[in-house]
Amino acid sequence: MAGYIFKRLVSAIPVLLGISVIVFLIMAMIPGDPATAILGSYATPENVEKLNRDLGLDKPLVQRYFIWLGNMLQGDFGRSFSLNRPVLDEVLERFGATLVLAGTAFVLCSLLGVAAGVVSAARQYGAADKAITFFVLLGISIPSFFLGMMMILIFAVKLRWFPVSGMWPIYGARDISALVGHLTLPALALAVVATGVIARLSRSAMLEVLRQDFIRTARAKGVRERAVVWRHALRAAMVGIIPVLGIQAGFVLSGAVYIEMVFQWPGVGRMLVDAILKRDILLVQGGVVFVAACYVMFNIAVDVAQTLLDPRIKT
Amino acid sequence: MSFLRLLARNRLALAGLVVMAAVVVLALITPLLPLADPDVTNTADRFERPFGAAGLLGTDHLGRDLLSRLLHGTRLSLAVGFAAALIAATIGAAIGIVAGYYGGRIDNVIMRGVDMLMAFPYILLALAIVAALGPGLMNALIAVAAVNIPFFARNIRGVTVSIANREFVDAARLSGMGDARIILTEVLPNVIPVIVIAMSTTVGWMILETAGLSFLGLGSQPPQADLGSMLGEARSALISNPHTSIVPGAMILVIVMAINLLGDGVRDALDPRLKSGALSRPMPTTLVRRETPPPAPAADDAVLEIAGLKTEFHVRDRVYRAVGGVDLSLKPGECLGIIGESGSGKSVTALSVMGLVASPPGVITGGRVQFDGQDLIGAPYEVLRRMRGDRVAYIFQDPLSTLHPLYTVGAQLVEAVRAHHPTPRAEARAHAIELLRAVRIPNAESRIDSYPHELSGGMRQRVGIAMALANDPEVIIADEPTTALDVTVQAQILSLLDDLRRERGLAIVFITHDFGVVAQLCDRVAVMYAGRIVEAGPAAAILTAPAHPYTARLMACVPELGGGRRHLAAIPGLPPAVDRLPAGCAFAERCDKAQAACRQGDIPLVAHGPGRSVRCIAPEPAPEPAPDTVTEAAE
Repeated sequence: MAGYIFKRLVSAIPVLLGISVIVFLIMAMIPGDPATAILGSYATPENVEKLNRDLGLDKPLVQRYFIWLGNMLQGDFGRSFSLNRPVLDEVLERFGATLVLAGTAFVLCSLLGVAAGVVSAARQYGAADKAITFFVLLGISIPSFFLGMMMILIFAVKLRWFPVSGMWPIYGARDISALVGHLTLPALALAVVATGVIARLSRSAMLEVLRQDFIRTARAKGVRERAVVWRHALRAAMVGIIPVLGIQAGFVLSGAVYIEMVFQWPGVGRMLVDAILKRDILLVQGGVVFVAACYVMFNIAVDVAQTLLDPRIKT
Repeated sequence: MSFLRLLARNRLALAGLVVMAAVVVLALITPLLPLADPDVTNTADRFERPFGAAGLLGTDHLGRDLLSRLLHGTRLSLAVGFAAALIAATIGAAIGIVAGYYGGRIDNVIMRGVDMLMAFPYILLALAIVAALGPGLMNALIAVAAVNIPFFARNIRGVTVSIANREFVDAARLSGMGDARIILTEVLPNVIPVIVIAMSTTVGWMILETAGLSFLGLGSQPPQADLGSMLGEARSALISNPHTSIVPGAMILVIVMAINLLGDGVRDALDPRLKSGALSRPMPTTLVRRETPPPAPAADDAVLEIAGLKTEFHVRDRVYRAVGGVDLSLKPGECLGIIGESGSGKSVTALSVMGLVASPPGVITGGRVQFDGQDLIGAPYEVLRRMRGDRVAYIFQDPLSTLHPLYTVGAQLVEAVRAHHPTPRAEARAHAIELLRAVRIPNAESRIDSYPHELSGGMRQRVGIAMALANDPEVIIADEPTTALDVTVQAQILSLLDDLRRERGLAIVFITHDFGVVAQLCDRVAVMYAGRIVEAGPAAAILTAPAHPYTARLMACVPELGGGRRHLAAIPGLPPAVDRLPAGCAFAERCDKAQAACRQGDIPLVAHGPGRSVRCIAPEPAPEPAPDTVTEAAE
């Protein structure tokens, strides 16, 4: 097992390098002079030249990439000019908040989505199946930011069950109950789309498995139908569902951008949007590379989970 | 044409189509409608409510007419979404076709790049592109299209690879066509349905994503507004004036939902696998819809009695009569063989006993299965469940697909025990080891923790037998348990079953297509053809002197060791399709003794010598066993 994890980690290196190249190339597409873009059109020529030198922009593209990469590997993601602090510090701080939000949403959508898919498949064409299918369709069609706004209107403004926005109360203790209160609406809003997608795929994965011979065997053994569905069928269906969970984790992580905007959540998504509007290129670059790298690592964890679940995969 | 008809049959897809068509028409004629200018501000009339003096939907935070802005915004959102989908599909398909058609290194390099792009969390990549290009609707469009290219490239490549290796492409190549022409005339037309499916399932996403970027302020810039930026601008007034948010938000929801419904419809209509309705799961018990009352039970010493059993498969408007009235009885400790070609209904008969025929499409339409003083046909699920595996157990054909692949054999044995007898786990495990020993599995203590894929076929089948023995059942129904095994293993399994039967006094129903197995194991045998029993009686008697021409022909198909040079006769023709059974004898078409009377009316199963019965109007003369009958019938 340890050997397998090591092998997967090694195989992630080219992917991470590829990601850094892609981000670097995208940023190199910036039309005109990046230093002018960063400093604005009122900057003095001296300042532009100095910044160009600081950023290494006077060097050829390939050399610039390796300088950037080398610095990143040493933990130096550069300095955000709009915040005037190291990019990595800001990203790490913001990423924590995003992780709380996206992590909760991911757990929610995995549990709800799989459960809905299983129930839907076990009761194919029944009332529960139809109801779930309808909500799934609604879920994958509604823009998460619109859903978030409607949730604020109903549950925060009208019913006053939850706070309107933010991660912590402005006054008062920053304890777990305060966090849960602030987290509930954004996490739900973020989870809805992924729940729909997961439910849909879980349903078809379950339908596929429920037709297999070993399900007939379980029934012939006299196993209760609940165990046939939740133990025999779901276990086999998980092999197909887990990769979908991995893909959806990416959607949840990046979809957090919208939810962070709607709920004023101090996460990395809002930081990125602010940075883009302020043309804080280094902050965008660092944030994107960091989040993408975390996602690659998460997918390795998904692969490992997959091998733990399926003894047929050789590790 | 059939595509459109299929689409029209799907009511939800049709609803989506109607809504979408209405929205598109509205968007197209928006400039012609008598609407206020969407960009003219009038701060005196800010936030007018809908249905008031200031137009149907009121005004926004700058006093602009909301209805006009909504329609213009819809126009813009649709245009951008469809444009992004078209660009992504075109470029993605081009990349996918090139990679799939040329293969080799080109394929490798391209797909590596695609994988890299797919390693990004989706929206993050779009953000990075917008960050580089700068905020703006055009840039948002480019970003969303770019992010979706890998998805198309990967899908289209997969299809192209399978097409590029087909005969007609080879033929085109041999006829000297250039690659470009082959791609355009041979590959592209076959790929287009896939492109359409992929587009119909992603265009909704792309509209959502461009709206999302605009919502974040990275897409359309004021005063121009698509639905996303309308929502983004309205957000600051969400609490005081929610209508300015609800109007554009609801519009996005309606559009995307209509597209998704339509997309699902398109996919279902184009995807042949879903067309046949293949994806329906079997219910816990077979559906029972008896058309005639069950026959009265015959009071004898049978442990299991099947009478007049009819099982059908209802697929669309077709009815397949898999079992058309079967009578069988099984005495305690007896081994009854059911023999027949594949499709003769022997397995379906066996599965009907405990309601295990997959349903849909299976339906039991008549008969009685008498066990333990009650009729199991139509018995409540819980009654059947309690008997399954505890009193009537099954052994299935292919133990690789019939054992759960992800649980150890021990776990599956323990479960079989605990499903009926609540025992502590340790005790159940000890029992499981005992069972594995009983079926002569060496090293039972270590084998118990193996997964099915780690065992050989013979070992797996022993596990299947152990599982059937777990609760000491009265009846075991073995559905071709040795068919998937090689001959030596087959013999071992057969003698194991025979031993167990004698040790434990089991009654066995043994389904097979192999007369050798019948000879070795069975006391009595029933021969099935086209869903009915054509001959039944003591195994030895039938084996020496088959009365029904079908039995004789079937036996002639079996090569015999040491039988010398003998003519092996395959039976000409095929069994009749069970959805179009002929009148009279189902075997008449293939029988060389058939006469006109064979094709008229129902031919009953009549007594034919001691303990024997046959369904034939001209059976071989009974009990005189002539040793050469077998050979003669073959010639």
